[in-house]
Amino acid sequence: MSWIRPLSTEVDEPADVLGAKAAGLVLLRRLGLPVPPGFVVTTSAYRAFRQAGRLPDGLDGELATAIADLERTTGRTFGGPGRPLVVSVRSGGEVSMPGMMSTVLNVGLTTGATAGLAAETGDPRFALDSRLSLLTSFAAAIAEQGGPPLPDEAVGQLRLAVTAVLDSWDTPRARTYRQLHDIPDDLGTAVVVQAMVFGNRDPDSGTGVAFSRDPDTGEPVPFGEVLFGRQGDEVVSGRSLTRPLADLAERLPAVWAALRQAMERIERHYRDACYLEFTVEAGQLWLLQVRPARFVGAAAVRLAVDLADQGVIGRDEALLRISPRQLRQPRTPRLAVVDEADVLARGRGAGPGVAVGRVATTADQAARMAATGPVILVRPETSPLDLHGLAAAVGVVTARGGPASHAAVVARALGKAAVVGVADLVVADDTIRVGGRTIADGTVIAVDGTAGIVVLGDPPVTGTGADPHLRQLLDWADDVSGDSSDRPGDVRLEAAHAALARHRDPPPGPA
Amino acid sequence: MTVLTDQRWLVLHALRCIGFANLARIATATGLDAADVESELIDLAVAGLVRHEAGDFGGWGLTGAGRNADTTRTADELRTTGTRAAVTEAYDRFLPLNTELLDLCTAWQTRLVDGIVTVNDHHDPGYDARVLDLFVTFDRRAEVVCTALSTVLPRYGRYRVRLADALARVTAGEREYLTDHLEAYHTVWFQLHEDLLATLGIPR
Repeated sequence: MSWIRPLSTEVDEPADVLGAKAAGLVLLRRLGLPVPPGFVVTTSAYRAFRQAGRLPDGLDGELATAIADLERTTGRTFGGPGRPLVVSVRSGGEVSMPGMMSTVLNVGLTTGATAGLAAETGDPRFALDSRLSLLTSFAAAIAEQGGPPLPDEAVGQLRLAVTAVLDSWDTPRARTYRQLHDIPDDLGTAVVVQAMVFGNRDPDSGTGVAFSRDPDTGEPVPFGEVLFGRQGDEVVSGRSLTRPLADLAERLPAVWAALRQAMERIERHYRDACYLEFTVEAGQLWLLQVRPARFVGAAAVRLAVDLADQGVIGRDEALLRISPRQLRQPRTPRLAVVDEADVLARGRGAGPGVAVGRVATTADQAARMAATGPVILVRPETSPLDLHGLAAAVGVVTARGGPASHAAVVARALGKAAVVGVADLVVADDTIRVGGRTIADGTVIAVDGTAGIVVLGDPPVTGTGADPHLRQLLDWADDVSGDSSDRPGDVRLEAAHAALARHRDPPPGPA
Repeated sequence: MTVLTDQRWLVLHALRCIGFANLARIATATGLDAADVESELIDLAVAGLVRHEAGDFGGWGLTGAGRNADTTRTADELRTTGTRAAVTEAYDRFLPLNTELLDLCTAWQTRLVDGIVTVNDHHDPGYDARVLDLFVTFDRRAEVVCTALSTVLPRYGRYRVRLADALARVTAGEREYLTDHLEAYHTVWFQLHEDLLATLGIPR
């Protein structure tokens, strides 16, 4: 039995064996895109691990061989001395469970290897920073299981990291997530091990996430976040201060161009928009994850119409990609697409809807001001002591917390628009500072609790009215059904689906 | 300087953990009789430790002095009872449960539809039943930590009673007692979290 596959173009096994992450990485390599070399411990190893309660027989030997291959490919030595090989160890099941499972970065950075990395780069601060990130990500992965301390020996670190990632499939949080989302408990996870690329290497380094098109609107403009000079999962976790993806174009134009080229190539392959995770090390782009973007709502409509206009898909397929059910869903109001310059702050959308009101920086202030018009409560974080202010406000903005925080739960319970986790927000007496601006109490701001943005003033709101792309799609629908009478959109689309099903054999289902 | 009897402090500390509240809510939080609560509030107000705000979002709340008095008293409580280590240990066990509970509340309020987070319209009884089952099994594990806490500091026993009440109402069909009510499971849990932070002197 063989537990490990290299991340190479020859690997031809499905995502239930490799996991979706590794399958995506293999695809990227086939498309000739830059992926750090590595290997994957398959889901069958997980099943053997779960049954035996320990790493399966033979895995140690295969890990040693795979690491030796990686040493040859990179010209580095695992654990040093000299130029050290450092690896990332990440989960990756067939079905993604975002944020639920463990990742350990910088595995192999023993004290010796850290000294080696410092000597190689001439940057001891960088080497120590990387070592620290190993210790924290390892502690976070192990804390759940109350496991052993990190050994100062590379192979031992790798074994523990692989074990921690396999174990993280069975944490209470992960189990709950699977029950809620109907994911079978026995799928298990694969473990992806790759040569590290360091987003914290220098100022021309960083890490980010990107959609090839705007996931809110479908507009054909890359959209995402980038965190310069930082590493790994800090973007996804929302702990640190990210910049809009477009900043890449200005700061690292060559990387931006490479990223756009990669997106084009991936879109042509998927015939769909894509989602990417990437790291830039010293001006060189590396792709770490890819999947189709799976847009919904207005973004899905715009994408289908644009792809048909570009000739990537046919009009029939554009029609089939949108389900009539989607058109029936009431659209949550959104801020109309605004100029980036008007965006005061970005965080995480935690309570859907749009709210416009005057800034209040304390709960008492919010309760007082609410008597004379709508108020947005802006707090570092919320505690029960803020609840009367939240009840009085029409929306809330917080510096800390995620979509599953007390603030978010309470905001949703009260039906308030909420943006949480605005990393650079500082709340002072009577003012807030954010995005390099100082805003006084009483200033009018708008909160979009779906997109997670805060805008100065009272901008226009979408959610009603005509959408030219939807109009286009429904015109195509009428062409197909041969009925152009005045009917609701979902009925027109349904008629087109029925007509397409009649004309095709075998009948297709919606994509 | 007013004397903070145990009962008076209980009322003061309740306001520290639940925020602005009316008489009924303070009575529920403390387990005291409403008339006793009112009498304590009046004495606390005279001492400048609490105030009453009129208006739609008003109620009884702490003054700055009240907050300081409470901070001193909670520190005294840990010192005189020698319970800091035990409460810290319970707090460490509380934290992973807190993450889980927030996941469950989020799952109750929102759903992934075609990959995007939308408000749960509660039209899928199968899904809602799954979330409720998870709440029930969660509550059993939470109970262990709550019991450990009230063994160390008996005033924490009130949270167990209120959490159990909320869950009983939910299973009896009053679904707003999960996240949406002032005595909902999440609301009480949020106050328990605040109490632990206040007790241990950990800033938010």
